[in-house]
Amino acid sequence: MVAPPDNDVIWARSLHHSHNGSPGLGGVSIGVRDAEILAVTGPRGSGKTTLLHCLSGRLVPQQGEVWFNSVPVHTMPARVREQLRRERFGWIASDPELVPELTVWENTALPLLLRGFSHRAARKTATEWLERLDIAAFARKRPHALLQAQRQRISVARALAAQPTVIFADEPTATLHRADRTQVLRTLTTAARSHGITVVLATHDAEVAALADRTVPLLDGRCVATVTLPAKPEAEGRAACSLSV
Amino acid sequence: MLALRLARGSHPLVLVRRLLVAAASAGVGFLLLCALGYAAAHPASAGSVLRLLWCFVPLAATVQFAVAVARADPSTRPRPGLSSVGLGPVRLSALAAVSTAVSTTLGSMVALLFFLHLRGDLTGMPFDGGAAEFLGAGSPLPLAAALMLLALVPVAASTASALALRSRPDPARDAFGSEELPEPAPAPAGLPWGVALTAAGLAVEAIASRGTAGSAFPLPGRYDSTPVAVLIGWTLTAVGLAMAGPSLTHLCGRALQAVRPGAVRLLAGRVLMNEARRIGRPLGVVCAVLSAAVAASALYGGDERPYGPLTALGAVLVLGCTTATLLTSALEAKHARAHTVEALLRMGAPAAVLRRATALRAGALLALFAPLTWVIAQLAALPLTR
Repeated sequence: MVAPPDNDVIWARSLHHSHNGSPGLGGVSIGVRDAEILAVTGPRGSGKTTLLHCLSGRLVPQQGEVWFNSVPVHTMPARVREQLRRERFGWIASDPELVPELTVWENTALPLLLRGFSHRAARKTATEWLERLDIAAFARKRPHALLQAQRQRISVARALAAQPTVIFADEPTATLHRADRTQVLRTLTTAARSHGITVVLATHDAEVAALADRTVPLLDGRCVATVTLPAKPEAEGRAACSLSV
Repeated sequence: MLALRLARGSHPLVLVRRLLVAAASAGVGFLLLCALGYAAAHPASAGSVLRLLWCFVPLAATVQFAVAVARADPSTRPRPGLSSVGLGPVRLSALAAVSTAVSTTLGSMVALLFFLHLRGDLTGMPFDGGAAEFLGAGSPLPLAAALMLLALVPVAASTASALALRSRPDPARDAFGSEELPEPAPAPAGLPWGVALTAAGLAVEAIASRGTAGSAFPLPGRYDSTPVAVLIGWTLTAVGLAMAGPSLTHLCGRALQAVRPGAVRLLAGRVLMNEARRIGRPLGVVCAVLSAAVAASALYGGDERPYGPLTALGAVLVLGCTTATLLTSALEAKHARAHTVEALLRMGAPAAVLRRATALRAGALLALFAPLTWVIAQLAALPLTR
């Protein structure tokens, strides 16, 4: 095992993973620097989510290494990886994944409560972040009463309130319209830059990727220089439409 | 056919639950046939109606269990894949009714064979006619009556499960993830009615037992003089407890999450408040049945009259079915929350926190319902043992 370079928060080397035989990642190496916003781009099925799962320790790659702050993640037992996710990482998925039984501020404070913060401190931090993200008016409502864009902002607030080292955002705007998309992304990137949080952002959208400091394109589970798919031929077989089918 | 195909691929635990339904149905069928046999052997006795009426308690418990099993059955749960090919909640409820009918009919057939065998009508196996005298072997059994009694459980269970499953939400909305979160159910409001009915039931019992002080009311098959008022009182108490169950569960959850909760208490309390309807009703029924059992053992425990075998079978059926219903409902609630639990685990919530929350819920419910059961049992037994 070679120790990773010092200036990388997360460093991964030749990650291989397959889901029950279906290929996921085929040898991806990636380094994420401190306090940068890194976009992982590529079409659906190119292995973005699998890569983020491997980097965040939710998934142990079948081959390859993942290091976080010079500590190997791929050799950690499940309990320690769980603790790492709880205390150092934040996760924003395309689905807000809020707990429907809890109110908005309780959802935001949940990572803090899970870390053992007192009720009062967790509530104070959560309310502050809700105010910053302009959703404090809904603090006492339940998620079912909100719009999807508002729920996604709560999910962003939940990730930020825990003050993580790295936030993994997996297609955070996939289910939103354009106006909401811009607002959620701007909130996330601004907060991350002002608090020095590293963000790994998976997206298939070139517009979203433009907000990042650096872009890593993926295609079919491999890092590529640029994603250029072969030009689409004229609807195949239209010219020679046969009656035999 | 689709019901059988789906059953073939399902988890062994699901099949075990269906077998339990079949066993409960067999037990009830056997009890009903015994009542019929007694009536055929003693045409003039007024006790045969009483015996038949007593059979409706295990029958109700079995129907409740069959509905709970049909609800928790993963093969009839609405799924986006099946919904898109046209098998929506309505067709699936028909499917659930068919599977319930299959398992309960199987139970009824077993009951018929067993009954005829013990009566001595079918020969060639050990214990031929082992209880011929007891089951009224001398007189012929009316065929139409036997078939009608045997059809009672399948018809009641499949109708009830079809009706219960019809109103489930369409899974097509699952395709949108949490964009369409279902509205949480409002807090159950049955507490005043439940308390009133329980109190009325206890009062009816107390008044009814005043005239016949000292002679506790007998179980079927011993005497023919059950005071109907006592039965009404117990029924009222049971219905009242079943109505109060959801509200009490909700209150329990509210108390758990009160006053600056940490993560464990917050999750435990809120989930209990949300699942109050699903868990509370079977819990109230179990509470009523247990308190009746405690009262009955206080009444007849030290007596020289032991329980008859049929009474024991009925009691086992009622206790088993209601407890199994409670467990099945708890399992259903767990499955309904699987998505949220997954999200929590992905966030890094330790599994120990979730386990502790579950234990806390169970402990809180036990702490509330165990004393309640004991108090109701003591109150129910008090006027009868005086």
